[in-house]
Amino acid sequence: MLEQFLIFTRGGLVLWSCLEVGKALKGSPVDALIKTCLLEERAGDSSFQYDAAGAGYTLKWRFHNELGLVFVAVYQRMLHLLYVDELLEKVMREFSILFVPTRTVYHDFDDTYRQLLKAAEANSHFKRVGQHRHIDNPRKGSESQARNAQTGRKSDKSAGKSSGSNDDGADEDGEADGSKFGPVGYSNGTGNGHANGNKANGLGSTKSGRSSASGSSSDEDSVAHKTSSENAFDVSKLAKLRNNKSKKATSGMEGPKGTSKDDAVSKKPQKKNRVWGDAPPPSKLDFTDPVSVDQGDDGVDIAVVEKGLSLMDKDDDDESFRVEDMMVEVEKENGGKKAASKKGWLTSLVQSVAGKPALEYADLEPALKIFKERLMTKNVAADIAEKLCDSVAASLVGKKQGSFTRITTTVQAAMEESLVRILTPKRSVDILRDVHQAKEVGRPYTIVFVGVNGVGKSTNLAKVAYWLQQHDIKVMMAACDTFRSGAVEQLRTHARRLQIPIFERGYEKDPAVVARDAIYEAKRTKQDVVLVDTAGRMQDNEPLMRALSKLINMNDPDLVLFVGEALVGNDGVHQLTQFNQKLADLSSTSSQTQSIDGILLTKFDTIDDKVGAALSMVYTSGAPVMFVGCGQNYTDLKKLNIKSVMKSLLT
Amino acid sequence: MPEVAFESMEGSEQLQSGKVSEQLSIAMPEWLSQQWETLKHDQAALYTTIAVLFVTLLTLFIVTRVTFKRKKSKTVLLVGLNGAGKTALFYQLRDGTTHQGAVTSMEPNADTFILHSETSKKGKVKPVHVVDVPGHPKLRPQLEELLPKSCCLVFVVDALDFMPHVRAAAEYLYELLTNKEVVKRRIPILLTCNKMDKITAHSSNFIKGQLEKELNKLRKSRTSVSAADVSSEISLGVQGEVFNFTQCSNKITIAEVSALTGKVEQVEQFIREYV
Repeated sequence: MLEQFLIFTRGGLVLWSCLEVGKALKGSPVDALIKTCLLEERAGDSSFQYDAAGAGYTLKWRFHNELGLVFVAVYQRMLHLLYVDELLEKVMREFSILFVPTRTVYHDFDDTYRQLLKAAEANSHFKRVGQHRHIDNPRKGSESQARNAQTGRKSDKSAGKSSGSNDDGADEDGEADGSKFGPVGYSNGTGNGHANGNKANGLGSTKSGRSSASGSSSDEDSVAHKTSSENAFDVSKLAKLRNNKSKKATSGMEGPKGTSKDDAVSKKPQKKNRVWGDAPPPSKLDFTDPVSVDQGDDGVDIAVVEKGLSLMDKDDDDESFRVEDMMVEVEKENGGKKAASKKGWLTSLVQSVAGKPALEYADLEPALKIFKERLMTKNVAADIAEKLCDSVAASLVGKKQGSFTRITTTVQAAMEESLVRILTPKRSVDILRDVHQAKEVGRPYTIVFVGVNGVGKSTNLAKVAYWLQQHDIKVMMAACDTFRSGAVEQLRTHARRLQIPIFERGYEKDPAVVARDAIYEAKRTKQDVVLVDTAGRMQDNEPLMRALSKLINMNDPDLVLFVGEALVGNDGVHQLTQFNQKLADLSSTSSQTQSIDGILLTKFDTIDDKVGAALSMVYTSGAPVMFVGCGQNYTDLKKLNIKSVMKSLLT
Repeated sequence: MPEVAFESMEGSEQLQSGKVSEQLSIAMPEWLSQQWETLKHDQAALYTTIAVLFVTLLTLFIVTRVTFKRKKSKTVLLVGLNGAGKTALFYQLRDGTTHQGAVTSMEPNADTFILHSETSKKGKVKPVHVVDVPGHPKLRPQLEELLPKSCCLVFVVDALDFMPHVRAAAEYLYELLTNKEVVKRRIPILLTCNKMDKITAHSSNFIKGQLEKELNKLRKSRTSVSAADVSSEISLGVQGEVFNFTQCSNKITIAEVSALTGKVEQVEQFIREYV
């Protein structure tokens, strides 16, 4: 059974809700849905799982963008309710007739809802029985559907005449639904179809909508009869949808490679403009200091680095990551032409002047495809580009398009908005403040750097240390990479150059124990921050991942920083999900699972404008990009400039 | 046609250019070209025409600018953390009821209305434009666009579930108090403790004290330590003193309300004071 059905505006006001009597929901699944799913641009997903203490819910939802409504159904996860999608569609159709923007109470919707629910339940029962037959022959199904619709209409009329006064007005509702709400049913039902096939289908869907509405109000027998037609229609629609999808996928492969090349060519001269901090004199480039080469730490001279401010502290408006808007215009022009060429120029002209009544998926598709390809050329992981486009589509379908705007412009605006929303951190990323918080309590703030091999964990650890040191924070390094040869020495060199204490226990030790001792030591010597360096590991290496999980669970660090290269493409998503997953799975105590809190993006200076990795990583993990490594010096650590990333992604 | 019109502009500036006038006389209708001929002979008339045109345009521009601006800064913003009760307060102010509750907002609620408590009042009551800004951190950039239009801010705090969110609330408040727009225009802020109908809700004095304490800490970590950080930020309060709200240049008052039961007179008063 459905636990709850909720209708609310995008502003958050609940318009109508149906909670099964005596069953209060555990936790707040709807708020969780909005926060973790809809606001993170995952609205393209089909369902959302919510876990509360002692209950697991599945949530499904639909948007009505024209009216700004959201429909959410909540049910127990154990029950696989097949009719929820259908019910959502139907309720959406019915409710949008009733909806008046100024009205806030819809008690009269109760009856309609109950009928719809009953019909949907009966339907799903029938579906389970008759599924195979219909899958075999979709065309036959749609034929029979048309026939059924005809009979349905007849019976509807007769029912309306004979028992119009007896029924509680639901009949009139049904009629009104069929006739008035034709166009919306059309856009919802077969939005995926081609423009040509659309009309025929749309007709069919409105008919079936009418037939089902009438069926629900008349006797049970005809319900079963007509719902079969509905079912057949659904199946044929599914097949069509699948065809479309595969088509989309294949055409997606043949992207406009020419444009991407153009991009690269026109971007090249820009690279020269980069401002390289305060470039050190050539002599300083040689970092090996001659004295320390021969045996270690015996009080020899120490070359202390003095290189001015870390780039973290400089104004972010520095030109190095600025992208000119010129390319946007050019691409926009291209996109517009492509989109327009699908339809006759006259219709597109008329539409551009008058404004389209409501956007359909078919309208958006060409523009979305362009954006998806563009994102992928910018090194965004493929499935993430896809999900993002789906989410943007979900937020646009049914919306009114203003006059004198092209679809590409509309999509671009929606895309920009959602990109900014994704990249904006959920919580504050002020490490300095957290450090001070910890200092007040009297414990060291611990940061663990994790990541795969060779992404630059140690180097960026040193950069972070330098940045913290600039802010009068006492930093200690802990060499917990007890695996790779030379790792401890490398860190020791950094420590000496920065004049930072280092905690080391040599090789072949358990890194978890080393980290624990380091934290004790830091507490004893009153250090503010402990930076824990770990060995690089591939995300699929089970034993090493277990060791990492142990280290993290044992020491409970304040911040687990995932270090990832900006060069990474599709694998970045895999890395992050695996790291997060393993940390959760392999933790011994199930009470509090640590996960990745932040991302440090390295080698950002090597990727020009292909900044897609930042988006992929943030989208998969939900963790913000806290630092960006953009060079070889200690000062080359930056904050992520969200606007510039967004711009370079969409150019 | 557009090219011709353009050239006529240039021609009127240079005044003597036979070619242009010739072109014009071809392109323009009969009576217009006649006018042009007379104007060309009488320079004074030409100058006055231009002057009159210029003055009219200027006044029009200024008038629209002024009216537009005045309209602009009449908005009351409801801000605060997620779940503090902004949407409930919004509907309480508008309709006198919270309807069937609210869920997390994804978009701002905005409306111009006469406060519900004043609908029964006789005489002319000015409607208020109220915007309920979503509290979710990901939607916070929207606030930047709304702030220039605002005349006062209602910062809603959840008094019931206050302690777990005190840091986040203080951070948000800090951002507001050091916002350029807020400081420059001295936008008054009403610190609204919501959900006071519940027994376990914290008192407004306690909340005020806790927020001041947190803001004091925040100020330390953001100014003294990260002085080098983006320095466009405005420092909060008086340096070297323990922070309290009276140090702010803008007026900060505190109120206890309950959006659920409809005890929102203090907010209404506050809004009336500034609109």
